[in-house]
Amino acid sequence: MMKNINWSKYSKPIILAVFIIVLSILRPKAFLSLDNFSNVLWSVAVIGIMVSGSIFVYLVGGIDLSIATLCAFSAVVVVSITHLLGDTTAGVIVGVIAALIVGMIAGAVHGVVITTFKIPAFLVTFATQSIFLGLAMIFTNNKIISCTVPAFTAIGAFKILGFPLPVYFMAIIAVISWYVLSKTVYGRYVYAVGGNPEASEISGINVKLVTIVCYMISGLTTAIGGIVLASMTQQASSSTGAGYTNDVITAAVIGGVSLLGGEGTVSGAIFGAVLMGLLNNGLNLMSVPSTHAGLVKGLVIVVAVAFDALQHADQSRKKVKKVKKAAA
Amino acid sequence: MKRMNQTTMRRLISIGMLLILILLFTILAGAGKGKFLNFDNLIEVVRDASIPTIIGVGVTYIIITAGIDLSTGSMMALVGMTMANIYAYTLLPFSVMIIAGLIVGLLCGLFNGIIVAKFNVPEFIATLATMSIFRALTYIIAIKDQNGVIKSQPMNHSQYAWLGGGIGKFYFVIMAMIVVVIIGQIVLKHTRYGTNLYAVGASKKAATLSGINVAKTRMIAYVITGLMVAIGAVFTTARLQSATTAIGMDFEFNPIAAAVVGGVALSGGSGDVIGTLIGALFMATLENGVRKLSINTAFQYVIKGAIIIGVVIFDATYKARMDRKAKEQGAKEGLE
Repeated sequence: MMKNINWSKYSKPIILAVFIIVLSILRPKAFLSLDNFSNVLWSVAVIGIMVSGSIFVYLVGGIDLSIATLCAFSAVVVVSITHLLGDTTAGVIVGVIAALIVGMIAGAVHGVVITTFKIPAFLVTFATQSIFLGLAMIFTNNKIISCTVPAFTAIGAFKILGFPLPVYFMAIIAVISWYVLSKTVYGRYVYAVGGNPEASEISGINVKLVTIVCYMISGLTTAIGGIVLASMTQQASSSTGAGYTNDVITAAVIGGVSLLGGEGTVSGAIFGAVLMGLLNNGLNLMSVPSTHAGLVKGLVIVVAVAFDALQHADQSRKKVKKVKKAAA
Repeated sequence: MKRMNQTTMRRLISIGMLLILILLFTILAGAGKGKFLNFDNLIEVVRDASIPTIIGVGVTYIIITAGIDLSTGSMMALVGMTMANIYAYTLLPFSVMIIAGLIVGLLCGLFNGIIVAKFNVPEFIATLATMSIFRALTYIIAIKDQNGVIKSQPMNHSQYAWLGGGIGKFYFVIMAMIVVVIIGQIVLKHTRYGTNLYAVGASKKAATLSGINVAKTRMIAYVITGLMVAIGAVFTTARLQSATTAIGMDFEFNPIAAAVVGGVALSGGSGDVIGTLIGALFMATLENGVRKLSINTAFQYVIKGAIIIGVVIFDATYKARMDRKAKEQGAKEGLE
């Protein structure tokens, strides 16, 4: 038992170190360059921002399959509003605020529908995924709209102390969500609801409200991710953020967040985001086409979740044994 | 008796929805020279509904066990690409190629089934993961030109083209759909396996206690879906006369939407194949009407999503009300 705990404590840094060493050996010049370092950081930042918020949803035992298209829709909202207001700095500010509000409303709708009608989260977000895609296509008239307003591109490109702004966003959002989850009453409620919704309900927690807020947080960080992504690429279209749904879920799963609810930490999720960033970058450097990367990511999800499920089954079996022993 | 009423009611609602949609498009298109309500177009609608229905039969089985399959679109692409490889690199006859495609479909379904039933990975996560796995495999085995760029593999062959078409307007894919629906409905309603599916969907615990092999029942449902997807892939590539990596992109939505609209409850334990057929016809009518009225296709995505949420909300509230009524009835009878 003791050995197990020690291992799980150090397994993450070890995996990370092994990953970095392997990549450094395989592609020393390309991987260990400063340019590549900032590439990895950018990739990590977007996933990190989104996973810091969507972890709330996973912790209450839900899921958000609409991340990619909500990301696209909020990117489209910020860019088209900026255009509408004459490509000014004020336009960018209004656009960003509007996109954030859109994200929160989308999350609120998810939360309300899921909790009020007790519909599985994956189905609701699966359906809204289609709605957001359609909306993004309608807003852009199915074209790519570019935006090179300095105030907007600065969001993704401006550097402080050598690090691009999105990295700071990730750090700030991760710290906030760590604080909320581990230091506030609300955070404890989130874990309680994910661990056992019925018991939480009985003990007086407003399960519905807690869950709705979780989805709103996820919607908000998805919108932030969309804004950052649009700013980094200086454009928005209905395919902005394509593939991020899987990347975010994979990051969470690698980071030890249980999709069955009630288990996981922000630091774990950020670790998952870093590993995903490295994985994306590594596959890229090894000239594995991005289309093939889905194989690796898919297998990672299956293995990680299967392992998680087996462990859960094991634990409950042990508990039953203990109870039986105590009874005898 | 109560239950019977509920399912009949739900069937009438889905038929009503279909009729209202047809009426709506007829009126809207009537202003524009009656482009919608004619024999050729209606056959076209049924043809478009065929593949979602065929795959929907498998998906219906899965949803009845309270599961889901998000990987059908990618699986279709993988089966199609496997057949394209056989076509491009071997001289094997078409029958062998089709059989190989069916086997790949079965294996994909088995893979899903094992992950879901043996390792207890939640269905939507497992199939979300296999969705990207199958799609990536499709890209990996895709046929490339000298520069390593993926190209669409033509599968021109008179025999294969014949399969993709039909005798006049009687397309083979429609006949295949009719056969699959009939067999699917009989298996569901009149065999031990069908009864087991409902039992597993209603309560896994109760099913286990009454001696049903739950894991096996669920696994077979995924394998059947794999086979249905392979049949869908055969007809798709036969109609297109080519295989591309983009086959089945975003397709997984369609059979699920068909089942949901047709009254297969996602909570498991209810619904049937006929319902899914009606649902598929509804979705195909919607797509056709939007196209014929030259409405921006982007609206299609919004409408589809909204319809699914609407139907699911309706089902959830309806079921809650019926449950409450049943409870009250039970309490009353208890008092008497």
